[in-house]
Amino acid sequence: MEIFETMVFIPLQPGERHMGSDIDMGADLASCIGLAGDIRGLIGVHCPLGVATGITGAMLGLEVDEIDDDVKDAIGEIANMIAGGVKVGLAGNNKDIQLAVPTTVCGKSLRIGGPARGSSVVIPFTVDAGTFYVEMRYMLS
Amino acid sequence: MAKNILLVDDSSTMRKIITRSLRQAGLDFGEIFEASDGQEALDVLEKEHVDIVLSDINMPNMNGIEFLREKANRDAIKDIPVFMISTETGDDIIGEAKSLGAVGALKKPFTPDKVSEVLGPLV
Repeated sequence: MEIFETMVFIPLQPGERHMGSDIDMGADLASCIGLAGDIRGLIGVHCPLGVATGITGAMLGLEVDEIDDDVKDAIGEIANMIAGGVKVGLAGNNKDIQLAVPTTVCGKSLRIGGPARGSSVVIPFTVDAGTFYVEMRYMLS
Repeated sequence: MAKNILLVDDSSTMRKIITRSLRQAGLDFGEIFEASDGQEALDVLEKEHVDIVLSDINMPNMNGIEFLREKANRDAIKDIPVFMISTETGDDIIGEAKSLGAVGALKKPFTPDKVSEVLGPLV
């Protein structure tokens, strides 16, 4: 929420948390950051086209209508800031994690794999352009 | 005289946002140079007149900590102040950055007001 209030400048409504990865996120673009250390896994931001371009346009103050390098980079930075917040939060619980740099992939109805025996939590967030999902797949080391 | 700034971040979006925040904060600065990792930053520092570096930590190729370590070994640029701007602002990593010469840290996400508050005295 803080990220959208301070750097994206569009209203955001969180939805119900979903445990497990059996949810259709309808993503056209996904940015993922690998986690290592006391907790292994990934944090992903899954966006349909309109949401990804809407968020990027708001961040940069530009009209954006297709997925280009700016969109991949902007959603990657959203994932990076979310992962940074998770890292700081876990450090308060004596869990030390390291973050990889973001990787962004594009395509129709994307699904991202994670640790085979890990857990998954998905939280939807709705903006004017639609709904995107933040996912954390994880397992304790 | 207005200070020249080098922005070091692998995200072009973040470099644009930091530039916009500097302008919105009303800070008086000169030229803004950009680099996408620590190695590019070293190359810019060797070629251009830079007064202040604002650097991310988590970057590919050469990260912010490696950049500080390498910069400290180069006499011509070792005294240029570096301010960290990163999602990673835990005591351990910021402590390491400061031990290598970083003069402060700003957590992402940030507001233009926060940029003005922490960078105003430097610029």
